[in-house]
Amino acid sequence: MDSSTVRIILLIIHLLFFIYAFTVVVSYMFLAVISSIETREYLKRNSFVNYSEILSSTVSPSISIIAPAYNESLNIIENVRSLLSSHYVNYDVIIVNDGSKDDSLEKLIEAYDLIEVNYLINNQVKTKPLRRGVFKSTNPAFEKLIVVDKQNGGKADALNCGLNISKSDYVACIDVDCLLLEDALQKMIKPFLEVTDLKVIASGGVIRIANSCIIKEGKLMDVNLPSKFIEVAQILEYLRSFLLGRMAWSRLNGLLVISGAFGVFDKKIALEVGGYDTNTVGEDMEIIVRMRRYMEEKGEKYKVAYIPDPLCWTEAPDNYKILISQRNRWTRGTIEVLKLHRKIGFNPKYKLLGMLSYPYWFFYERLAPVIEVIGILYFLILIALQNVKWDYAFAFFLLAYLFSVTFTIIAIFSEEFSFHQYKKKGTGFKLLFVTLLEPFVLHPFILYAAIRGNIDYYFNKKLKWGEMTRKGLSKT
Amino acid sequence: MNDLQYYTEYFWQLPTLVKVVWFISGVLFVVILALIGYLKFLRSHLRGNEKILMKYQKEYEENLINYLYAGDDENEISEVQRALINKMKICVTDKFKRNIIMAHAIQKFYFETGLVNHALYKLKARKWDVIASGIKELTQFEVKEAHNEIVKYVKHPNREVRNEAQLYLVSLFQFKGLSFLDKLETPLSEWAQIQLLEILQKFDNQEIPNITPWLQSKNNSVVQFSLKLAKIYNQFDVKNILFKLLSHENKEIRIDTIQVLNYFQDTESKHFLKPNFINSSLEEQIEFFKLLETIADKEDEAFILENVAHHNFEIKLSVLKILKAINVEKFNEVKLEATDVQVVEIVKFIETN
Repeated sequence: MDSSTVRIILLIIHLLFFIYAFTVVVSYMFLAVISSIETREYLKRNSFVNYSEILSSTVSPSISIIAPAYNESLNIIENVRSLLSSHYVNYDVIIVNDGSKDDSLEKLIEAYDLIEVNYLINNQVKTKPLRRGVFKSTNPAFEKLIVVDKQNGGKADALNCGLNISKSDYVACIDVDCLLLEDALQKMIKPFLEVTDLKVIASGGVIRIANSCIIKEGKLMDVNLPSKFIEVAQILEYLRSFLLGRMAWSRLNGLLVISGAFGVFDKKIALEVGGYDTNTVGEDMEIIVRMRRYMEEKGEKYKVAYIPDPLCWTEAPDNYKILISQRNRWTRGTIEVLKLHRKIGFNPKYKLLGMLSYPYWFFYERLAPVIEVIGILYFLILIALQNVKWDYAFAFFLLAYLFSVTFTIIAIFSEEFSFHQYKKKGTGFKLLFVTLLEPFVLHPFILYAAIRGNIDYYFNKKLKWGEMTRKGLSKT
Repeated sequence: MNDLQYYTEYFWQLPTLVKVVWFISGVLFVVILALIGYLKFLRSHLRGNEKILMKYQKEYEENLINYLYAGDDENEISEVQRALINKMKICVTDKFKRNIIMAHAIQKFYFETGLVNHALYKLKARKWDVIASGIKELTQFEVKEAHNEIVKYVKHPNREVRNEAQLYLVSLFQFKGLSFLDKLETPLSEWAQIQLLEILQKFDNQEIPNITPWLQSKNNSVVQFSLKLAKIYNQFDVKNILFKLLSHENKEIRIDTIQVLNYFQDTESKHFLKPNFINSSLEEQIEFFKLLETIADKEDEAFILENVAHHNFEIKLSVLKILKAINVEKFNEVKLEATDVQVVEIVKFIETN
């Protein structure tokens, strides 16, 4: 190859990097605008709603909260109490003890006066068999509680067991360690009931970080900003993702994922598609993609709704080891789901799902860490070859950094204008401080986790869920 | 000065692309500084607002309590009350303070302070949210005089405005307010239906008007709402119309109708449903069997037995429950012959419950 050919190849590489970065920036700006429109409209629409009317209604639809539990002995009693404190009238709570090796079941039996009952299960989705059976409380105060003890099969299998057990029209699938606010169910069920021109198949909720918040007897008493950098940085990440990203995708009706920590589903459709896939670690994203695909193939108009209110609070990793393990799993989940449903990608038959949502996730979620690492390696090679044009490099680095800071500040504004959860004096400064440092401190770990996820996906197939050591929400 | 000159010269000799990047970076830097400043202001403003809100809420609560206890006759305004009204009239001119009062006001007070005019004025707004908030206020303060104005909004293109107008009519005019259903063409969402039913159930007067025209409405959501009314208010008289609805073109309506007939435990309905059983949807079949659980008798045995091997779990469960209720011997026969795992499980469940 002569030098002019090399120069042309290098130029093409530069151009591709430039186009990628430019489209990322444009898409982020576009999503920010769309989400601000949607948030404003949502807040306006909901300022008229009297949620108390649906609470006591005998015709309100039934909802089952399904919460899989594995070795949650430490916090299970308090977590279940939190789930039982919903203000909604027509609901039950199904705790699926997924083969826990600890004394979770014994603790539940003792705390909630449980006895084994003869419960007929319609096994519409195949799951691991029951271990000790189905339990209900003899205490009328806990009549809404059902505890199922089954052999270990993983989170998806436990959720499927819950789907089989549920007799409700809708199911709210939630992580047992999450704290649900009392009005969460009525807010999440609203889209299913108010939309008349299409079918709402699922609604997703925002997940908020509960680290350092004051929680007593399963209720959120006070919202605090955590002291650790890693926790605050994750709050910013969640604000960006939930208030800007998902809100916008909801408006476009292109939402491809509902957080596994809290989502409500039309049970009939969830069962028709075969329930959760037990062969992926991205089961929360997979079921949404499959439900959407199913509706597209049936030719029915549908929507995946999204509720931005801070209804579900969870404990986020407070050290880098657990964070990397979590993000590693998220990456593998994304790769698995996109590969499994590659048929819909760039397929006009699937309309917006195939032509916008899927390509976006593929290029800007799936490939983003890979392209970033290739970029870094390429840059290192250029340094080694003393071929870096520092004028360009420095200007572009600065621009990327400033854009990332601006985008995060917009996310903070979105929070302040809408839900204003972090009210205390000094928290604004803390958020800004972390905003400035996050690209240098948290992002490298996120990138490392994503790359590890890619490597593990291709070279370590046996790896499934990582361990998440929890302190418990009331102890954070 | 030399430095500035050096950097200026350096900047101008840069390639155009880099110049553009530096320019955008500069803009972003200024934007970030402005946003940081504004964020500080916004957070202080929001915190301040909350403090003021709490202060005024307390103050107005006290004023209202004084107002309520100062009156000696319901229809007369006492001197003390008049003084309080004058005080509040001043506050009403302030939008922020007005919003606080609204949450606590009472009807007479609402009229006297002139707040009602603000709500009526809102009805003429172009923005849907302003109209909807006006209707909501007029509903909360029971301003029946606004009926003719608000009834126009029952067919408003915006869902929230429509919903508020419908809630106004039912909240203030009870069952008579439902007359908007006569000509309703827009869909009445399940959410709106639940809200209307909850409001209706709060009234002492539970005399429901004739729902027959609504059951025959061309608007499917009106039919579904009327079916709910029929069930909640035990409208047995409309039974013949319900039979007609069993062959309605909309599947959801047919299912809802079977559920209402089930609730009425109507024995006649099976004669309408049985002949069409095979052609009906699975959901209808399931609902029909649930109905049979309450009304089936010996004469249904042959039909029940035909469906012992039905592919659907819920139907199998109903079949076996009914069979045990109407003919235990036959149930035992099925039990002994059963090879289907589901049937075995169901039989075991029925026998132990």
